[in-house]
Amino acid sequence: MKIKKDKFKDALASIAKEAKVFLPMKGVYASEYRVWDGAGEPFFERNTALPPKELLFPRSERMYEYDLNAGTVTEAAPDEKIVIAGIRPCDVRSVEHLDKVFLESEYTDVYYRARRENLTMIAYGCATPAPTCFCDSMDVVPTDAPGADVVMNDAGNSYVLTVNTPKGEHIRDLISSFLSEGKADDVPAVSCSLKVEKPDDLHKQLIARFDDPMWETLSDACLGCGCCSYICPTCYCFDIGRENRGKTGTAFRCWDSCMFSDYSRMAGGHNPRPTKKERLRNRYLHKLAYFPERYGTSLCVGCGRCIDKCPARLDITNVPDIIQGSESNG
Amino acid sequence: MNDNLAKMREAAKRALESGDVGYVIGWGATKFPDKTSPLFMRKPEDAERLVWNEYAIPGIAKYLLDDLYPDKPIGVFVRGCDSRAINRMMKDNRIKRENLRLLGIPCDGKDDERCTICRNRNPLVYDELLWDEAPTPEPKDRYFRANAVEAMSADGRYAYWSEVFDQCIRCYACRNICPACNCKECYVDMTATGFQGKQHSRSDNLIFGVTRAFHVGDRCIECGECERVCPMGLPIMGQTQKILKDINELVGDYESGVDAESENYLGVFDLDDKDEFM
Ligand code: SF4
Ligand code: SF4
Ligand code: SF4
Ligand code: SF4
Repeated sequence: MKIKKDKFKDALASIAKEAKVFLPMKGVYASEYRVWDGAGEPFFERNTALPPKELLFPRSERMYEYDLNAGTVTEAAPDEKIVIAGIRPCDVRSVEHLDKVFLESEYTDVYYRARRENLTMIAYGCATPAPTCFCDSMDVVPTDAPGADVVMNDAGNSYVLTVNTPKGEHIRDLISSFLSEGKADDVPAVSCSLKVEKPDDLHKQLIARFDDPMWETLSDACLGCGCCSYICPTCYCFDIGRENRGKTGTAFRCWDSCMFSDYSRMAGGHNPRPTKKERLRNRYLHKLAYFPERYGTSLCVGCGRCIDKCPARLDITNVPDIIQGSESNG
Repeated sequence: MNDNLAKMREAAKRALESGDVGYVIGWGATKFPDKTSPLFMRKPEDAERLVWNEYAIPGIAKYLLDDLYPDKPIGVFVRGCDSRAINRMMKDNRIKRENLRLLGIPCDGKDDERCTICRNRNPLVYDELLWDEAPTPEPKDRYFRANAVEAMSADGRYAYWSEVFDQCIRCYACRNICPACNCKECYVDMTATGFQGKQHSRSDNLIFGVTRAFHVGDRCIECGECERVCPMGLPIMGQTQKILKDINELVGDYESGVDAESENYLGVFDLDDKDEFM
């Protein structure tokens, strides 16, 4: 199936009749997946500054409200239908990882589940990886997204569409009047320029080197901000808080970052991760060791955002490099 | 290799070989030709990894706060902006001159917008100067952001700052890079006090924005690092520029970090304060 590029917005308009459509778009200050207003142009040149996690796991989310006068507790139940048109394969993989945490482990997160069930993903196969992209070293194929409901690939003046799921079939039916015949084999292969070599047992080797001096040098330049975790599509830590107004109030949860000092500070003031060395080690190990140990796959999807935006230019790909280097040195 | 880089490597190597310093902070290469990363040199041979080009952009003075009681002085390469950052932190009693070994490197301007408003490319404090100073080119409008905001109506300004801080993800990179944001403990991290709500909302974001602006206030050295590091590309220098502009217009010529002695304008308590403009 194909859709002519000049019919793309008409197709989005058909989808927008029954769901809120999000597109990668340039903002005044930074690019992100934004609500499509019926006119805005998609931004496909490179991946967005902000990842899509906001749509499933908002930076701040009301969980429930209570009113002691009325004796009521009202739980939030997000029910909005959302379609992301043009989500990158790395970001689709990140959603699969979030699913593992919020849906597939022993506890099911009701807020995430409500949003996830209402989400349809139309992936945009990457044509132009940025210099910091390395998803094809992290088991993502830049031009394909098996976890998406529909995959679309650039083929000159049209997009080639591949439908993967029943949700995808629904999208196909909605936009059928704009579709024509066309095969997916017109799609040229795409390769990231940044390559990362890593041994199969990377997670074991990293854990074995928990006390290695390498963490000190890796974290020398770290400023301990939350930038890398907040722009990472797979960093999912949150904090829970309450806002009380007399006898009424709200419980909320909001993003948190293991790079902040108060993240691991305990009552009484003791902090088991006292410096940036321990905090950066934790972030890297969570991505490359703890998550693989538990779920059998790397949590880093190679989107390159943290490399691109780190104020100190820290680079997570240096971690597998060090392990690989010491392997080849014997 | 350019001559200046050779001089820097030589100076770092000499300092490390002599054992006068514990380590030296400069810039090193990354996998990307247009990015450098702060480099910590501990052994003489590390000096070979030093880089000095138009991308030697990140501020490196703030790292001095990570090591307040070093066994030996810390070597730091200082451009104009780094030297003002160091003056700032010395004046604020956060670092001590005797713990520093400052290798002065007159700067040639980097591939970054903030360098177009730089007023001091030459270091203002150093132990040795590695090459000759050159005059700083006429800077662009010092208050370019503040002027743009002043031109708006009151409602326009509210809309402008709301839009800016709606985009803020509160990563605090602007705080962590800023040499004037040097409190021992930031109010933001005192979570039990509730000073700064942890929710991401317009009001909590604006509270952070306004508090940061006033805590930095007159101590801003105009290095522009806060804007460089902001992952959302927010024009937050407009806030401190406005404070500095008011001081310069109401009180007289003032620049922060040009030395480590001059008094601040806002961060002082004086019973005889005329309070004329409060
Ligand atoms: S690695 Fe970079 S982005 Fe992450 S906390 Fe450190 S300085 Fe900030
Ligand atoms: S760790 Fe960095 S490269 Fe990996 S998924 Fe997160 S932001 Fe992307
Ligand atoms: S660096 Fe930017 S996004 Fe981060 S807290 Fe500062 S203003 Fe907000
Ligand atoms: S320009 Fe920004 S980073 Fe630099 S001193 Fe002023 S507030 Fe701090």
